[in-house]
Amino acid sequence: MAQLFTPAATTLFRVVIVLMGLGVISAGVTAYVWARSDSTWNVGKPAPQPVPFRHDLHSGALRIDCRYCHSTVERAADAGMPSAQTCMTCHSQVWVGASVLDPVRTSFTLGQPIQWTSVHRLPDYTYFHHAAHVTKGVACETCHGRIDQMPKTVQTQTLSMGWCLDCHRDPVPNLRPREAVFAMGYEAHGKDLPDDVRAFYREASRRLTSCNTCHR
Amino acid sequence: MSSDAQAITSPVAEVPLSRRFGAIWWAALLASGALVLLLGYTLVSVSLLGVGVWGVNIPFVWGFDLINYAWWIGIANGASLFAAILVLRRHDLRTAVNRFSEGVAFFAVICAGIFPIFHLGRPWLFYWTFPYPATFQVWPQFRSTLTWDFWAISTHVIVTSLLWYVGLIPDLATLRDRARRRTTQTVYGVLALGWRGSVRHWAYHQRAYRLVAILVLPLILIMQSTVAFEFAVTLVPDWHETRQPLHFVATGLAQGLSIVLLVAVLLRWGLRIGRYIDEGDIDLLGKLVLASSLVSGYLYIDEFVFALLADRMAQEATLNRMTGDYAGLYWAAIVYSIVIPQLFWFRAARQSTVAGVFVGLSIGVGIWFDRFSIVVGGLQMDYLPSIWRNYSPTLVETGLFLGTIGLFAVLLLLFVRFLPVVSMFETRHDEHQEKSS
Repeated sequence: MAQLFTPAATTLFRVVIVLMGLGVISAGVTAYVWARSDSTWNVGKPAPQPVPFRHDLHSGALRIDCRYCHSTVERAADAGMPSAQTCMTCHSQVWVGASVLDPVRTSFTLGQPIQWTSVHRLPDYTYFHHAAHVTKGVACETCHGRIDQMPKTVQTQTLSMGWCLDCHRDPVPNLRPREAVFAMGYEAHGKDLPDDVRAFYREASRRLTSCNTCHR
Repeated sequence: MSSDAQAITSPVAEVPLSRRFGAIWWAALLASGALVLLLGYTLVSVSLLGVGVWGVNIPFVWGFDLINYAWWIGIANGASLFAAILVLRRHDLRTAVNRFSEGVAFFAVICAGIFPIFHLGRPWLFYWTFPYPATFQVWPQFRSTLTWDFWAISTHVIVTSLLWYVGLIPDLATLRDRARRRTTQTVYGVLALGWRGSVRHWAYHQRAYRLVAILVLPLILIMQSTVAFEFAVTLVPDWHETRQPLHFVATGLAQGLSIVLLVAVLLRWGLRIGRYIDEGDIDLLGKLVLASSLVSGYLYIDEFVFALLADRMAQEATLNRMTGDYAGLYWAAIVYSIVIPQLFWFRAARQSTVAGVFVGLSIGVGIWFDRFSIVVGGLQMDYLPSIWRNYSPTLVETGLFLGTIGLFAVLLLLFVRFLPVVSMFETRHDEHQEKSS
């Protein structure tokens, strides 16, 4: 009877074992890198919007305050999206005939909200409160990036739980004095804070990383 | 191979190599295959619809899932502990029962593993219980019983499958050598990992086999205690006892032995291999089953005495388990797992196939009632009277349990069909020794 396996079979078997080991390791590495890559978290990816709204014009060039449109950001969990009335305060005068603003005018006439696509969307099992952050010195820019330079609104941060925790574990470097919260391009994070505020947040990190701070 | 060794090996090796296997095997495979379909259906429904399709609710967050998990784990532990001890002691009985008690252990672990994964509610996220560098930057809660389940089950699967497979290697080589068709030869040949039967191979094999067997001993005690601790660490009055691990280990051993006995008797009857699993083996197994059920009996007395000595809440909870709404389960457990096995005081009963099947099933059923009584009966009178209510499983839960029994049967049937159920190399070794002495 002919031999079932040639001596090369042993070598092949060993090669397969090594390859399988390498395969497991590289699968792990790939998963690690993939889970952290910006594209996985939709960073830098604009969403299709009904109106080609430009933050770089409104917030950047025209220097309209964030709170003019996102009016509940200092008071509520949700920052708030402007109604068509808010848009029409200016757009009843400027760009009156522009066809790109048709959805805004329709919304104004019919009293129905514009169907914006959410760019920063947290899972429904996380409780996020804009006012809690903004009134404690977390700036718009810290999470949303240089909105005033964005022709199309995109995420600049992953919004992963790890990213939240980075700050909740040590908030001080990311806090600003209240007058700088709505500023863009502010540099001196954390440096201008009074010592008692710094001491308070060092203590608070335990409370801030408790499960039910964000998962209620 | 000498002609003598041929004669020993032949009947056992012929079974997996034969082309036809009879209508009974096919009928059994179809029947248990249908149960596996049922298993698939219940698992899909619990994945799509959530654990709401089960009868579990506060306070009974653990219903059939934990009852059956603890039950299967008990079988796995009992069977592999038994196999490991036989390997280490080089006991004669090992030739007869080792292979399939290792198999029984492995298949039972697979069945057990299904429950903790699916009772998570979101089974596709089960890997969250594993400590890996996740983007949410939080390690699993090491005080959580879910994490313990993960380690218990994965360690169990690795160790029991290793014990089974390492023991199989020389026999797989025998099958490779005796197979007639080329594909069969190749499949068994790859599985035999290039076994040539050299002295060096045998030396390594003995070392590996015994090493894994030694690993099993502490692991089984730790793993079974882990299951018990899942109850003991809670504040439920009836569960919060240090005696839990002892209870689970001892009753689990009785249960494992009884299932090994059941399978042994069935194999002896079904495959007509009375020469390999002889009457002495069955007799000895029967005595072990009897002894282990006596130990279980001792632990039931211990439970009662403990309850009398415990504080009032624990006492009431335990006594409620014996006299309350679920008292039937408690007493059924005693009758099935302790009273009925007393049949084995009689030699005729130990050697009878019918009595073997009867007692084997009876202990299995009895311990299942015991787990039911602990998981459900123990919770019935918790500290808050406002949540005192009863639990009964839904059809989906029952289907899930029947499904795992089907899966176990399918795995066992395939094992019987394609692998040698009795260790051929150990049998050859023993018969040679008898001849030379």
